[in-house]
Amino acid sequence: MSNREENIGGQKHPTPGKTAAVKKPASGKTVAKKAATKKAAARKVPVKKAVSKKAAGKKAARKAAARKAVPKPVSVLIVGAGFAGLGMAIRLKKAGIEDFVILERGERVGGTWRDNTYPGAACDIPSNLYSFSFAPNPNWSRSYSESAEILDYIEYLVAAFGLKQHIRFNHNVSGLDFDEKQGLWTARLAGGGTVRARSAVMAQGPLSNASLPDIEGVDAFRGKKIHSARWDHDYDFTGKRVAVIGTGASGIQIVPELVDRVASLKVFQRTPAWVIPRPDFQTPGWNKALFRAVPASQKALREALFWTHETMAMAVIWNSPLTRLAERLARRHLHRQVRDDWMRRQLTPDFRIGCKRVLVSNDYYPALQKDNARLITWPIAKLSENGIRTADGVEHELDCVVFATGFDVPKSGTPFPVRGRAGRELGEEWARGAQAYKSINVAGYPNLFFLFGPNSGPGHNSALVYMEAQLDYALRGVQRLMDDNLKLLDVKPAVQARHNKQLQKRLARTNWNSGCKSWYLTEDGFNATMFPGFATQYRAQMATFEDGDYERVAL
Amino acid sequence: MASIDLDKMLAKVKASQWALADIDWDAPGAELITDEQRPKLKAFMADLMWIEHVGARGFAAMARKAPNDTLKEMYTYFHAEEQRHANAEMALMKRWGMLDGDQVPEPNKNLRLVIQWLDRYSDDMPLEVLGSVIPMLEIALDGALCTFLLDTVDDPVCHQAFARINDDESRHLGVGFTVLEMQGHGDTYIKVLKTIATLMDPRLILGIASYVPLLNRMRDNIIDMGLGEERLYAAMKKFERIGGRTADGRRNPWYQIISRHGRIVINRRHKLYHAPVDAMVRLTDRIPDRVMPSRMPTWVKGITYKPVV
Ligand SMILES: Cc1cc2nc3c(=O)[nH]c(=O)nc-3n(C[C@H](O)[C@H](O)[C@H](O)COP(=O)(O)OP(=O)(O)OC[C@H]3O[C@@H](n4cnc5c(N)ncnc54)[C@H](O)[C@@H]3O)c2cc1C
Ligand SMILES: [Fe+2]
Ligand SMILES: [Fe+2]
Repeated sequence: MSNREENIGGQKHPTPGKTAAVKKPASGKTVAKKAATKKAAARKVPVKKAVSKKAAGKKAARKAAARKAVPKPVSVLIVGAGFAGLGMAIRLKKAGIEDFVILERGERVGGTWRDNTYPGAACDIPSNLYSFSFAPNPNWSRSYSESAEILDYIEYLVAAFGLKQHIRFNHNVSGLDFDEKQGLWTARLAGGGTVRARSAVMAQGPLSNASLPDIEGVDAFRGKKIHSARWDHDYDFTGKRVAVIGTGASGIQIVPELVDRVASLKVFQRTPAWVIPRPDFQTPGWNKALFRAVPASQKALREALFWTHETMAMAVIWNSPLTRLAERLARRHLHRQVRDDWMRRQLTPDFRIGCKRVLVSNDYYPALQKDNARLITWPIAKLSENGIRTADGVEHELDCVVFATGFDVPKSGTPFPVRGRAGRELGEEWARGAQAYKSINVAGYPNLFFLFGPNSGPGHNSALVYMEAQLDYALRGVQRLMDDNLKLLDVKPAVQARHNKQLQKRLARTNWNSGCKSWYLTEDGFNATMFPGFATQYRAQMATFEDGDYERVAL
Repeated sequence: MASIDLDKMLAKVKASQWALADIDWDAPGAELITDEQRPKLKAFMADLMWIEHVGARGFAAMARKAPNDTLKEMYTYFHAEEQRHANAEMALMKRWGMLDGDQVPEPNKNLRLVIQWLDRYSDDMPLEVLGSVIPMLEIALDGALCTFLLDTVDDPVCHQAFARINDDESRHLGVGFTVLEMQGHGDTYIKVLKTIATLMDPRLILGIASYVPLLNRMRDNIIDMGLGEERLYAAMKKFERIGGRTADGRRNPWYQIISRHGRIVINRRHKLYHAPVDAMVRLTDRIPDRVMPSRMPTWVKGITYKPVV
């Protein structure tokens, strides 16, 4: 993790934690800006002259008139105040760009970690890797931190980097429209009103929209319904008959937490996942002290964790001898923790490891075997007024159903309408599967950057490693627009097409496309989600910004 | 009968789910069971219930082997539906006062052997084997036994339950025969070679050794109940007829084996077959309990007569 430290210099950041004093980081603006202009001058890329002088004059007048009516456009608008949106903000600030806004539909920052507060919610990538490299936290209390601690870290970022004044809470973006003449994006807001900007960053989160699944009778059920991403902390589970539907990442974290609180717990599984043991431990005090005193030691650990996870790519992404080894590890874990043959069979996946998200847990299998717990693998026929009816003809009477059924992931289409040049609409273009250039730009939609866009998903490593690479790339794009005075920076369709051809060719050889159904794939089996390679390869892809790949139109 | 569209069939299966709670198990009519009927009916119902359950386990194995997602999901549903049949039949037994408290009746020894075999080996069997044996079991044992039952029992609740069960079964059979034909499609020579290889697999020989006496035992049970064995035979002929309706179906060597075997089962004069098999049935009865496989797999504990748990 080297090239992204350019703007940080040697400066020390305050560390997160309740008592840590919050200090605005010293700004490295001027340096950064100078460097950026120098780079731009050196590049000497031809810039198309868009308009004649006369037209430009007219236009300036029109613009001035427009300025009176609506507020001046900002340089950058960011949708979403999760890790991605805030990370973008930090990178902008460090590069000396201050006129940006973050539009956040919620009342708080944090995204995933604001919403997922279910019991047991935690990251499954070690915190030292699931955090920003430019803002290390020596105080992580355990190797895999819980939701609340991650949220604390995110709030620390906001305070430490002075982001609060940029965030507009309760601003729900309902659409993005591009004005080609002016080179401006307009964000429409759900309650009315607009925000205009020269460039836009979509950081609305890949997993931020949750809804109850489309099971017959969901509305008929009269008991309590809770979605894992909208936990009801006031509901008292004591003595209740509870069902958990879904055994993915959230489900297997919830089950061990809930089982001891409830009278009975029924876990409804459609497909078992591969589960590997989790080397979780509390960070000893001396360790934190070491990280504080010698930050390099924490960097070294992060580095080690990064490479451990990279190795896992070999097992998870492609079918290799390591895949067998990983499957054996998971099987042994199952064998050791589950005594009964039939239950083992029920819990054994029949697809290759890596085809779907690999889960980590030490306490899921034991929880399933407690006296008051039951694993149910019959298909759910429907929900009735009083419970769940399974296809074996039995009704399970329940007080509460927990839906750990995941998220609405738009693999085709966009979460809200996005209109680009000449009125084209991205949702329509993506109807058969999303496509982008390097996951971040889409031809026909200039000056727009997607964080966690198509084919940026990590199967084996921290999302934040991928995110940092995207943030740097987006920053360069924004800097091009500003420093080179561009109206449009639009990736060339041919470049994007070539990129995707290669990408799909590489994807065809991965485990994700090896024949199991997962949320990674569209109904037609098109993979618009995952990046087929090591994080190192993804970083390399994002490390170069080729101006020749883009159509550039001057302001 | 042309082959069916499996995707449409799966949608239909999902839309046709029913539950024990849909039936009023306390409705009048239970008294129509005569005291004379009761003991034999009890044994018959217990066998029937276990055969459903065994069929269920077969579908579980098939779901593992399914060549595509649609069939996989279909078999997952069929697995559950056979369990539903077993549950409903147990509910009838409960209604008729044939249960010992909440106890699931003991399976007979032939069934126990089949259960053991399924538990140990069914997941290793190629889809071709299960895909041919299961339709035969369904049509002969499941299907035919159900009609017998309806002929002898007047209880309207029983008729209600079996109307639903038979609806399910017609879908199982439709899919079963379609798959039989799918597997008959292609190079016959290779298929025959593969079949021979599989036949020589000792695990399959064990399976045959438990399947074969089961058929004869069920024949005896039927006669015991005072019913004509012709019904069973008619059903087995139906397997031969429907399975062989297309060239692909006939090309499937497993279809050939199973239907020819069926013909032999029907032919009482085939002493070469029936003498040893009947001996096997008597023999299994005499296997002392201590050498019978002692531990029953836990999947057999999933049955319940309770509509709501
Ligand atoms: C339970 C759970 C556990 C996870 N664990 C891990 C892990 O261990 N390791 C890992 O690498 N990844 C993990 N992830 C993936 C995780 O989503 C990403 O790591 C990361 O948090 C995504 O950050 P984000 O900022 O892109 O999205 P989010 O955190 O979802 O933030 C998006 C923000 O945008 C806002 N928003 C959305 N739509 C609009 C709109 N129209 N207008 C305005 N605002 C909007 C949302 O309110 C939200 O605040 C996990 C995800 C979940 C759900
Ligand atoms: Fe049945
Ligand atoms: Fe059946």
